[in-house]
Amino acid sequence: MSILFKGRKQGASSKKIGPLQRILMFFTDHLRQAVNSLGELYRAPFAAIMTIGVLGFSLTLPSTLYILVKNTEQISSQWQQASEISLFLNKNVSEANAQQLVVRLSVWDEIASVTFISADEALDEFQRISGLGDALSYLNENPLPDVLLVVPTSKHATPISAGLLLDKLRKEREVEIGKLDIEWLERLYALLNIAKELVLLLAVLLFFAVVLIIGNTIRLNILNRRDEILVMKLVGATDAFIQRPFLYTGFWFGLLGGVMAWLTVSIILWWIGLSLESFMELYQVQLDITGMGVEALAVMLGVSISLGLIGSLISVNRHVKEIEPK
Amino acid sequence: MIKFEQVSKTYPGGHNALSKVSFHLEPGEMAFLTGHSGAGKSTLLKLISLMERPTVGNVLINGHNLNHISRKQIAYIRRDIGMIFQSHQLLMGKSVFDNVSLPMVIEGHTRKTIAKRVDAALEMVGLKEKARDLPITLSGGEQQRVGIARAVVNRPPLLLADEPTGNLDPKLSMEIIRLFEDFNQAGVSVFIATHDLGLIARMKYRTLTLKQGRMITDGLSQAEEDMY
Repeated sequence: MSILFKGRKQGASSKKIGPLQRILMFFTDHLRQAVNSLGELYRAPFAAIMTIGVLGFSLTLPSTLYILVKNTEQISSQWQQASEISLFLNKNVSEANAQQLVVRLSVWDEIASVTFISADEALDEFQRISGLGDALSYLNENPLPDVLLVVPTSKHATPISAGLLLDKLRKEREVEIGKLDIEWLERLYALLNIAKELVLLLAVLLFFAVVLIIGNTIRLNILNRRDEILVMKLVGATDAFIQRPFLYTGFWFGLLGGVMAWLTVSIILWWIGLSLESFMELYQVQLDITGMGVEALAVMLGVSISLGLIGSLISVNRHVKEIEPK
Repeated sequence: MIKFEQVSKTYPGGHNALSKVSFHLEPGEMAFLTGHSGAGKSTLLKLISLMERPTVGNVLINGHNLNHISRKQIAYIRRDIGMIFQSHQLLMGKSVFDNVSLPMVIEGHTRKTIAKRVDAALEMVGLKEKARDLPITLSGGEQQRVGIARAVVNRPPLLLADEPTGNLDPKLSMEIIRLFEDFNQAGVSVFIATHDLGLIARMKYRTLTLKQGRMITDGLSQAEEDMY
């Protein structure tokens, strides 16, 4: 509707069209402009590829690190699930008493399983794998104690609750020494936490850089089309109308940059996976570097499209307003 | 249609472009605005098209005071005013059709309507065959007519022209003025700024003359000729 001339109809309202058609027109309009903006990128491929490359690589670094940290965490949690508490029993506890203890402990909520290894079995095994062989038979008596291997349930396998369980087990009178080697795990966890913080920090810094780069690219685009914008303003284009193609350009930068980052990360992880395989075999750990599925793709695209849009929004808000016909 | 009430415009730095200008252009009227360069013609047109704001006084279009129009509304005001420029202001990289259709695209018309109206506008200015050409391949007179087609494509009630015949020979100038007369006969108010006195002299239209920012005559072009 015209402001100056009552009754003079403007634009889409000048013809009677249904709401459905209006919605359809809205979408076809936007689709057309989106495709146009993509066409602009295609017509200047070199500049576009450079911008997309900056965006893609900037996302690649934090994504790769994040996924590596995440996987390390997963591996270490595998180790922790397998973590056992070793209880060395008093020498004077008879085997029958030890069996009673096994029965008593196995009903505890925190405990998944209890295995009894008698002193004799332990000595046999030690003889077999230590290579000392007959030398051990010169011992007067078996120096090894009976041992209980206690595996906590997964709920109680974290360093803290496993520690609590250990304290509780130590109070059993048959137990002489209880051992849970979790200190190295705690250290690993602390290191992983630091690594996570660093990855986050790095990501934030790189995201800022991406926003600035996109903003600057869009600014140059706007200045390049200064004459066109002037003419459009002269014939009555609103700022919003002029801004739209630039916002779509930002969107495409984001989308393509995100796809590129996803591909790069996938390749890097595959590469790392190859060299890690032999290393992991040595440690007898199953390692599948995971996390590059559909979900990761969605997150990365979401982040990169947001960054593209934020960058172009900042630029467009500043610079389209500045261009006014004089 | 256009009403100036004691309008003055002082640019930063103290240059008085317009001083206490008052006049009233009736709806459906066609008038010329003349004066030497620097007399304030362009400033006056810019006040109407909201490229500038008056320092003092009111500019009214159809009874609406432009001082009350916010920055965001300016775009919508310009859709009601067909503007024609001496420098054409065409997009040289886009076809004639795309240039003329720009105001319609901005208003969000359907493709069908746009094609129909652009065809009609190009027909009126006699450039229907050149719709696919680039403006850069056209002559000066043809480029000006593309500008006119763009100005009238969304059928504005008011046409403003700033030196529309500036670079054209007398015969082409007359053709352009005849085009404006056609639109005027269709009920459009037309306001043309020009320093081409010979052109005005041949017609009997109201002529407003500016001299150093003041309105010195307001009357028929015949009286205008006696002044010089």
